[in-house]
Amino acid sequence: MSDSKKVRFVLTRFDPDQDQVPKTQEYEIPVRPDWKILDALNYIKDEVDPTLSHRWSCRMAVCGSCGMMVNGEPRLTCSTPLSDYGDVVEIAPLANFPVVRDLVVELEGFMDKFKAVKPWILRAKEKAVEEGTHRQTPDELHAFKQFSMCINCMLCYAACPVVMNSPEFLGPAAIALGHRYNMDSRDEGSRERNEVFRGEGTVFECSYANECTEVCPKGVDPAAAVNQAKLNAVVDWATSFVVPRGGGK
Amino acid sequence: MSVPANPKAMAPHRPGRTRTAPPMRPDGFPSAPRYRTYLLFDATGLTYLLAGFAVLAVAWSLGSGPEAWARALETLRSPIAIAFHVLVLVSAIFVGVRFFRLFPKAQPARIGPAKPPPRPVIHAMLYVAWAGITLALVAVLGGFLP
Amino acid sequence: MKTLMLRLEPVIWLLFGAGIMLGTLLLPGYLLTVGIGGPLGAFAADALSYDRLHAMATHPIGGILFRLVLLGLVALPLWKGAHHLRALSVDFDGHHRDGVVGSLLYAIATVGSLLGIYAVFFRL
Repeated sequence: MSDSKKVRFVLTRFDPDQDQVPKTQEYEIPVRPDWKILDALNYIKDEVDPTLSHRWSCRMAVCGSCGMMVNGEPRLTCSTPLSDYGDVVEIAPLANFPVVRDLVVELEGFMDKFKAVKPWILRAKEKAVEEGTHRQTPDELHAFKQFSMCINCMLCYAACPVVMNSPEFLGPAAIALGHRYNMDSRDEGSRERNEVFRGEGTVFECSYANECTEVCPKGVDPAAAVNQAKLNAVVDWATSFVVPRGGGK
Repeated sequence: MSVPANPKAMAPHRPGRTRTAPPMRPDGFPSAPRYRTYLLFDATGLTYLLAGFAVLAVAWSLGSGPEAWARALETLRSPIAIAFHVLVLVSAIFVGVRFFRLFPKAQPARIGPAKPPPRPVIHAMLYVAWAGITLALVAVLGGFLP
Repeated sequence: MKTLMLRLEPVIWLLFGAGIMLGTLLLPGYLLTVGIGGPLGAFAADALSYDRLHAMATHPIGGILFRLVLLGLVALPLWKGAHHLRALSVDFDGHHRDGVVGSLLYAIATVGSLLGIYAVFFRL
């Protein structure tokens, strides 16, 4: 690698024990043409500065843990080719999230929103095992499949102007996931979730910037989910006046 | 350098054990082109709000008799009024182009028992309706129809 | 105020949705004629005359459609406008003032819509 190209990386560093605010640190390292951004971060950590903290796991755009801001854009670093960038690359932790250390963000706020939408199949009464499985037609699967491809990488949260300003907003991924279960023919919990959607973190805070969809690395189209969820939440609200709701569920 | 976001953005309900640095806005908000387009979309709220009141004034004059209507027509002929209406027209076209593109995917796969048509069809239908309504209004208000 | 706005959100969103959809469909036709074409003299002299418009507004069948379209042109842009200006306020770090700004904008849209109903159905 002696005669290979060199790239300067400007990384955000933050040590909660020592720093009041994050600072940047630069590393100039030799790179290989086939590297992803994550390869460079791992090189820095392994060969140059073992104190660097960053999250990653699968290296194949499935686990959703290596999301960072690369030159200001939210990206999965494991699937972003270094060759797309010039001689200087700035890497910062995901925008709109509190920072735990260096490039690592606080996930608990996201987990709170995630849990709020009850992302599992809700049934009024569980089906007994002997009764067999819940069957689904291809059409019924199609209604939600796209929204189930989310890997919780949170890039959408880092791009959303509403998340940036409204702490209580449920946000793109959580609403998309709740909507995924609302659209699932096996699920019976849409009334509960629609109440969450009309609650404090309301789906109506979304102003359709569509930025979540622009940055989604998995083609989930969270903006479609959020705006479909708005219509469903309104229809559910309107029918609640027509069809009385018992306390059975 | 980055600008801070709302300090509570994405904060957990229960604070974590370690101190955290406050959340930052995405770089390029609001100056990056994609955010500018979105903010401009929201900003058309102003032209729409003013347009609503401008039409209210027109409707009010029409209800106040021939003299008031003649005065209203005079006001409509002023360069400022024409410039304002051109601005509203530009913003309405901008809103339509962006919103009609985003609208089809906001339709759930099923709305009650109904299934919406394919997205390109909805998109095309919106433009047909847009052109049709505009032509109808021009035909009637422009005096081309009795 | 914020709680009340949250409870009314489905209604507000429906009005906003009608505003951005129907309002945008209706506005260009109105603007091209009453706002731009008419004042620039692009049409016959009596196209926008009081007698012609008044006759249309008081026509037994067409008059209802005329009044509904006119009311739509007043009220729908108001709700689209109020809702988007509220969003714009939040965009510019306005989360803390959202309760005040939102209620004020929706109050303006409500007053304008009520005046529109009065102007279109009781004065015309």
